[in-house]
Amino acid sequence: MKLYSLSVLYKGDPKVVLLKAAYDVSSFSFFQRSSVQEFMTFTSQLIVERSAKGTRSSVKEQEYLCHVYVRNDSLAGVAIADNEYPSRVAFTLLEKVLDEFSNQVDKMDWPVGSPATIRYTALDGHLSRYQNPREADPISKVQAELDETKIILHNTMESLLERGEKLDDLVSKSEVLGTQSKAFYKTARKQNSCCAIM
Amino acid sequence: MAESSVKDITSTFRRNLHIDGIGLITCPAARYNRSPIVLVENKLGVESWCVRFLLPYVHNKLLSTRKQWLNRDEPTDITCTLLLLSPDFTTAWNVRKELILSGTLNPIKDLHLGKLVLTKFPKSPETWIHRRWVLQQLIQETSLPSFVTKGNLGTIPTERTLWLIQEEMKVCGEAAGRYPSNYNAWSHRIWVLQHVAKLDVKILLDELSSTQHWASLLVSDHSGFHCRQFLLKSLISQTVIDSSVLEQNPLRSKPALLLPKDEEAAASTEEPRINLPHLLEEAEFSTDLVISCGMLSTSSIIYMVGFLTPWGTLSDLHLIPAGPQLSQAMNKQGHSQETNAGSGPSSRLLGLGVERRCTDQVLPTSRDAGPASQ
Repeated sequence: MKLYSLSVLYKGDPKVVLLKAAYDVSSFSFFQRSSVQEFMTFTSQLIVERSAKGTRSSVKEQEYLCHVYVRNDSLAGVAIADNEYPSRVAFTLLEKVLDEFSNQVDKMDWPVGSPATIRYTALDGHLSRYQNPREADPISKVQAELDETKIILHNTMESLLERGEKLDDLVSKSEVLGTQSKAFYKTARKQNSCCAIM
Repeated sequence: MAESSVKDITSTFRRNLHIDGIGLITCPAARYNRSPIVLVENKLGVESWCVRFLLPYVHNKLLSTRKQWLNRDEPTDITCTLLLLSPDFTTAWNVRKELILSGTLNPIKDLHLGKLVLTKFPKSPETWIHRRWVLQQLIQETSLPSFVTKGNLGTIPTERTLWLIQEEMKVCGEAAGRYPSNYNAWSHRIWVLQHVAKLDVKILLDELSSTQHWASLLVSDHSGFHCRQFLLKSLISQTVIDSSVLEQNPLRSKPALLLPKDEEAAASTEEPRINLPHLLEEAEFSTDLVISCGMLSTSSIIYMVGFLTPWGTLSDLHLIPAGPQLSQAMNKQGHSQETNAGSGPSSRLLGLGVERRCTDQVLPTSRDAGPASQ
């Protein structure tokens, strides 16, 4: 089981602002890592944009699960993991991170912050510790009062979009994705079948 | 252009001995006049636009000039480039076999190429198959023995053999991490343990502890558990279960489990062995995985049951059937299909005495289970 990224965002109106993020792309092929990272940022921002305040959801996309928690005060956290990673641990982690973040970073800095300006350094440590959920969170803590019936599950990214909106369009218009990442997305979409060379 | 790319690749390898990975760079169009071969942080990259030209070129070159090469290095370089792009092209691997047999190509270099190929194509069947052929060649070299006799403890592997084994374990481990449930990687691992390590007990025990970390992180990797099953079976069939431990157990109705293959070895205290506490430890480890993941990994349950039941010992220790409660919990989590196979044997597993811990912890967990369970 793997945890690929952990990010803290602010759900502004209308734009979502990325405040801080940590990534673990070591399991991806070397030359794909920067694109993968950009896509994770893109996805995290998109999900927070399309989620209402005060909700928790899990969005499934192929073999990844993106867990998102948007608090009522617009602070949001996204954890991107694989299918095996226990979702309860992911949500406990998000809760913990957002709590810690709001204590350390002043509320006034949230709407205008960016990873360069925000001073919160614990994210990388959390990401690496929580790669093994059993070490990070022994059973007793994991059974926190988390009402799982209230977690919304989306089966694809597409279900977050509005009618008529296409993911391809959002990708090509995105400012977060570089040209190489956009090209990578296009070729990946075109080749649904297994091709030995690519 | 294609010819110069092949030259670029060859010279890059020659200049950089530490290349440890390859990859394809998504690059739809050639930029300026630059070579498509890129080296970054010891990783060799090929820009995708050139593959269209490069691959047919090396392919044709290989087939047309197979019987008469211009120089000694040409087949090595051509096959190298070809296999980095398309590793399942058997003919290329076979050409390399010919080169090894004729002494032109060093087998260790060939293994290194295979390792690089596996960083991008961790499943590639032809790569693994060829790798086994090369290893076979290496251990059959009669001038260098792979095992030596050491006193009365039987044979132990030589340093060179140990190095080979360690390398293979590393390669398998990395490949297993790159693709979920990589059967080709794990079965290669088993093959190496059988044919190169010759089921040496110390190596098997080391393997068992080193794959434990893996097993806890790759919970649904069936192939990984299959490998652990193989390790345990081999260890059990080679050593004696500590008979004193069994005698203390009043429920034991069957005689001591398996015969020692080598009585002297069994008597020697230096000989590593597996015994009942070991097996219980293994059972606890699996149960641990089952509980703490909050989701029940069928593979870990079935794996434990699969290897324990045929040996018959532990079903004798079966005590209270706490199985039904665990099965209930499993069904609640929506794994009903899988548990129909698992519920019977899992009750025997729980009879090992860890059932109380299971029910204490699994039941509260299942109560919190999501909407699917309600």
